[in-house]
Amino acid sequence: MVGYLPLAIFVVLLVYLSFTAPNYFSFQSLDLILRQAIPTVVVCLGLSVVVMAGGNDVVSGGIDLSIPATAVMSAAIIADQVTNHGTPIAIAFALALIAALIVGAVNALLVVRIGMTPLLATLSVSVAVVGIVKVITSSRRINVDHPVVVWLRDGSIAGVSVGVILTTILFLIFFFVVHRTRWGMNLQAVGGSRDAAEISGIPTGRFLSQSFVVAAFAGGLASMFVLARGSGSTPGTEENLLLEMVLATFLGAAFSPRRVVTLWGAVLGAVLVTALSIGFKSIGVNVFWTGCIKGALILVVVASASLSLRASARGHAA
Amino acid sequence: MFPGVQALDQASLYVAPGEIHGLVGENGAGKSTIIKVLAGVYARDSGTVTINGTAYDTLTPASVHAAGVRFIHQELHLVPHFTVAESVFMGQEISGVFGIDRKTMNARASAFLSETLHVDIAPNTLIRDLGIAERKLVQIARALIDNKARIVVFDEPTAPLAMAEIEQLFAAIRRLKERGIAIIYVSHYLGEITQLCDRVTVFRNGKDVAVEDNIDDASSDSIIRHMVGRALDALYPTKHHAVEAPILKLSGLTSEGQFSGIDLTVGKGEIVGLGGLIGSGREELTDTIYGLKQPTSGSIELGGRELTISTPSTAVAAGIVLVPRDRRHDGLVLDLSVGDNINLASLEEIADLWLENRRSAARRSDALSEKLDIRPRNSSAITRFLSGGNQQKVVLARWLATGSKVFILDEPTVGVDIGAKVEIYQLIEDLAAQGAGIIISSSDPAELLGLCDRVAVLMRGRMIADRPTDTLDIDSLIALTTGFEATGDAA
Repeated sequence: MVGYLPLAIFVVLLVYLSFTAPNYFSFQSLDLILRQAIPTVVVCLGLSVVVMAGGNDVVSGGIDLSIPATAVMSAAIIADQVTNHGTPIAIAFALALIAALIVGAVNALLVVRIGMTPLLATLSVSVAVVGIVKVITSSRRINVDHPVVVWLRDGSIAGVSVGVILTTILFLIFFFVVHRTRWGMNLQAVGGSRDAAEISGIPTGRFLSQSFVVAAFAGGLASMFVLARGSGSTPGTEENLLLEMVLATFLGAAFSPRRVVTLWGAVLGAVLVTALSIGFKSIGVNVFWTGCIKGALILVVVASASLSLRASARGHAA
Repeated sequence: MFPGVQALDQASLYVAPGEIHGLVGENGAGKSTIIKVLAGVYARDSGTVTINGTAYDTLTPASVHAAGVRFIHQELHLVPHFTVAESVFMGQEISGVFGIDRKTMNARASAFLSETLHVDIAPNTLIRDLGIAERKLVQIARALIDNKARIVVFDEPTAPLAMAEIEQLFAAIRRLKERGIAIIYVSHYLGEITQLCDRVTVFRNGKDVAVEDNIDDASSDSIIRHMVGRALDALYPTKHHAVEAPILKLSGLTSEGQFSGIDLTVGKGEIVGLGGLIGSGREELTDTIYGLKQPTSGSIELGGRELTISTPSTAVAAGIVLVPRDRRHDGLVLDLSVGDNINLASLEEIADLWLENRRSAARRSDALSEKLDIRPRNSSAITRFLSGGNQQKVVLARWLATGSKVFILDEPTVGVDIGAKVEIYQLIEDLAAQGAGIIISSSDPAELLGLCDRVAVLMRGRMIADRPTDTLDIDSLIALTTGFEATGDAA
C-alpha cells in the first residue's frame, strides 16, 4: 500500500491546485507546463541512462551531475557563435555537440579508467564546465533571436508546441534504445548487478563509459531547448536545472513499480515538479516558500518509496 | 596469487559425460583453486586441460565458455528487478526487427524451466519476488539456455536451501546428467555428495588423494579418511583449566529463518567449540549473542542474570566480547597504532576527565603487548603492517584490557601461520585458565577437537550435537558437521 503513496500525494496536490489555481487544468496551462519542463526532461533522459548503467545507489552507483552544466555550456557555445560570430546555427550546434561529447568522454575516463566515484568525478567536471561557460560568455547574457530558436520556442504543429513534439520523439528514441534493444538490456543488467553482468559476458566497463557519453549527448541536445526557453544563454541556468534533474529522476524511481530509475518515471517526475512550481506560482505562494514546499514533498515521496522497498525486502527475508 | 604457496600440486581430475562427479576436501585443500583454473581465472604453471578431446593451452573465461563449460556459482548473481526471462537471457537476448523479442524470450525461458528443470515459474515474474530455490533454478537456466553446455560445475549449490528445495535441485541435476552433461559437484555436505554423486575425487593439500567409484552410503568413512589423512599434531596446548559454574546460558534461542531452539551452556573456564558448515547458522548465532542481531525468542543468561542484548555495546558492558572472523575489517582500525587499538575499548577507564591519559594508556598497552608477545614490541607501530597472527593478538589484547568474562572467537586462526596459531591457541587456553568462558566458532574440526572441552554442532539452524570432545574423534566430528550423522545427541 505504501507503494502507491507517492503517486497518491501528487494526485491529491494536483487536484487541489486545479480547484484553487485559476485555469490550472486548461490546455494553455498544460502546454506551458510541458514547455517549461522540456530542458529538465531532456537532461533527465541522460541521467536515467547513467543511473541504469551504474546502479541506483546515489553515492556508489551511477550519477552524472555534469549534464546541466554541459547543456548550458553547449547553449553558450551556440549563442556565442551565432550572435557574436555569425556562424550558421547548424555548424554552431555541431560544435556544441562535439564539446558535449568531449565532456562525456572525460567523465567516462575519470570513472571507468581512473576509478573515481561518479559523484565526485562529475561534480568536479561540472565545476570545470561552468568555468568554461564563464570564459566563453564573460558571465554575461547573450541574446539569440535566430529564427530556429524562435521556432523552437513559439512554433507549433496542429496546436502542439514544436518543442513538446521534438522532446516526445526524443523520449521515444531513448525508450526504444533502453528497453527494446540488446544494448539497453545489457546496460540495465550492468546497473542491476555488475557481477551478474560480468558473469554473463557483458563488458561492463564499456557500458559504463557509453552511458556517460550518451548522457553528455543528451546535455548537448538540451542546449537548444535551454536557448529557446531563455531566448538566449543566461549564466547560472545550470543551478536550477541540476536540482530539478536529480529530484525528477529519483522521484521517477519512487513512482515506478520496480522502484528503479526509469525513463518514463524521470519524464513524469520532471513534468510533475514543473507542474507544482507553476501551480504554486499561480495560486500566489510566496516564491521563497516554494522551494521549501517542493523539497519537503520530494522528501516525503522518496522516503515512502524507500519504506515500501524495505518492507518488501523484509517480506522476502522471512 | 598465492605468494610462496603451491595451491595445487600435480592434481588431476577426470570427469566423464553423463556423470555427477563430486569434489570434496577440507578448506584449503585445492578444490576452489582447480575450479578457478578450469574457469580461466587462475593460470596454471604446468599440466594439461582437455575438454571433449581438445587440449587447451591457455584458458580464458571466454574460451572456457565457448568449450561448453558452465559455472553455477555459490552466489546467485541475479538482478533483483529483472524478470525471470530477462535474467535467463542476460547477455544473450533475442532481438527481432522491433528490438528485444520479449515474447520469444518468455516462451523459451518458460519452456526450458518446465521441461528441463520441471518447475513452473511465470517468465515475467521479478527475481525479487522469487524464493531462493527458484532463484537458484533461474541461475541454472541462465547457464544452460543456449543448449551448448557440456560440463556444468556446481559450487556449493545447496548452502542457502531448505531440505525440500534441495530435493528439487537434485532432481534437476539428475535430469542434466540424463542429457549426457558432465557435472562437477563441489560441496562440503558429504551427506549430499553420497546421495547425488556417481564418483568422488578427494583433494588434500593441493593433490587429488583418492577417487571413489560406486558411491553409496558406506563410502562416507573412506572419503573422510582420505580428507583428513593426518594425525592431530602437537599444535594444541595441554588442557589444564578447570571448568566451574556456568557463566553463559542460552535457552531456546531462536532467530526466525536463521537458527532455532539453541540451548547451550558455557562454564567459567570452559572452552566450547561451535562447529557447522558455512550457512549452518553458526555466524548468526554468535552475532546474536553479541547483539549484532536480535533473537525472535529465547533467552541469554550471563552469570545467572537474564540479559537483553540489543547492541554490541550492551554486550561489551555486560562482559561479552566477540573477536570477529574478518579482523581486518571488523576488529581493527588498521591505520591506528597497536597501542591505540588495544586501548580502543577501555578509553573511559584511562581517560582523565575528558582527555586521554597518554602515559597510563601507554603503560597498559605495553604491558599487554608484552604479555601477549605482540611483535614488533612497539605500541606505536601501525597495526596494518603487523602479520595476521599479531593482528589477532592485538584484538585479544583489547578485550583482555576490559576484563571481559565471555569471549566469542569467530575463526580465530583463519589466515595466520602455524607459529602464530600455536601462540593464539596457548593464549586462548590461558584465558580459560583465568576463568573466562570461551566460545570458539570454527570450521576446522582439528582446531575444535584440539582446543575445546565440548563441541556443539549446528546444521541448517539446529543444534544437532553437544558433546564432550573426548567422546569425539576427527572422523566422527566431520561426519556430524557434514550431515552423515544427522541425529543423536550425546554419545
